[in-house]
Amino acid sequence: MPQWFVKGLRRGVVTTRYPARPDPLAAILPGPPAFRPDALTSRIAEDLVRICPSRAFARAGGTLIFDAGACTACGRCRDQAPAAVTVSGEFELAATDRSALIKRIPLRGEASTDEVTA
Amino acid sequence: MSSEPGAPAAMPAGLDATADELRRRIARQFGRSLHIRTLDTGSCAACEQEIRMLAAPHYDLHRLGFFLTPAPRHADLLLVTGPMLRAFASAARKTYDAMPSPKFVVATGACALGGVYQPDEFSYGSVAAHLPVDVWIPGCPPSPLALLQGLMVAVDRMAEKASQLTFIAGGTL
Repeated sequence: MPQWFVKGLRRGVVTTRYPARPDPLAAILPGPPAFRPDALTSRIAEDLVRICPSRAFARAGGTLIFDAGACTACGRCRDQAPAAVTVSGEFELAATDRSALIKRIPLRGEASTDEVTA
Repeated sequence: MSSEPGAPAAMPAGLDATADELRRRIARQFGRSLHIRTLDTGSCAACEQEIRMLAAPHYDLHRLGFFLTPAPRHADLLLVTGPMLRAFASAARKTYDAMPSPKFVVATGACALGGVYQPDEFSYGSVAAHLPVDVWIPGCPPSPLALLQGLMVAVDRMAEKASQLTFIAGGTL
């Protein structure tokens, strides 16, 4: 709020330019996680499935299924496995198809078996 | 989505393409003026807080041709929050039926998308289990910027990005 006030005094306009231009405040929004497949072992994946309070994770063979629509950006997965889970910083997540929000994340060393077991 | 009188009645081969084209034509008609009715089907009100901020000077949704209306009969788009409680289901259906066609339904927030509550005797668990949803906006709650992007996707003024995202760090995120 104070920075909007200063900005308003300087330019006379407080309104964001989004969507014509990116909004700098978007960088500090809470967002869904991003994953590092080289550090994501099957044991970590099982932990994530267990701790997620909104059931955004599921296991299917050699992949971790992540439902960005179910994610509440609580950050528990990042606290559980900081080496494998980071912040995506993405907020433009609107989808015209619910299944477009369900992503398959390969696990370390098991990516080749994905097609066989999934 | 309702069909137009002039649209071909049966086109088995190119039906999907026809439906997509019709959807885009309807969206373009709404592109300059869209009236929004919000519907709380049992949310914690965090989503409502963010929707309310859309009308504040920083986001100012009116500059983009979006308007909030209290009357379903004036609304083109139903912005639905919450996990669709069964006690509210008939009211939600009446609201949807009262809106003139063509109309959009946008599910807003993780509850409405089916992430937080399982279907049980109290709630359907997601909006899509009770109403036909056109656009899904994730987030808990979705920020006003995310809501703006969802509305722009609904009226086909912005392309949806979600299907391109991989959520793999350092990849094609």
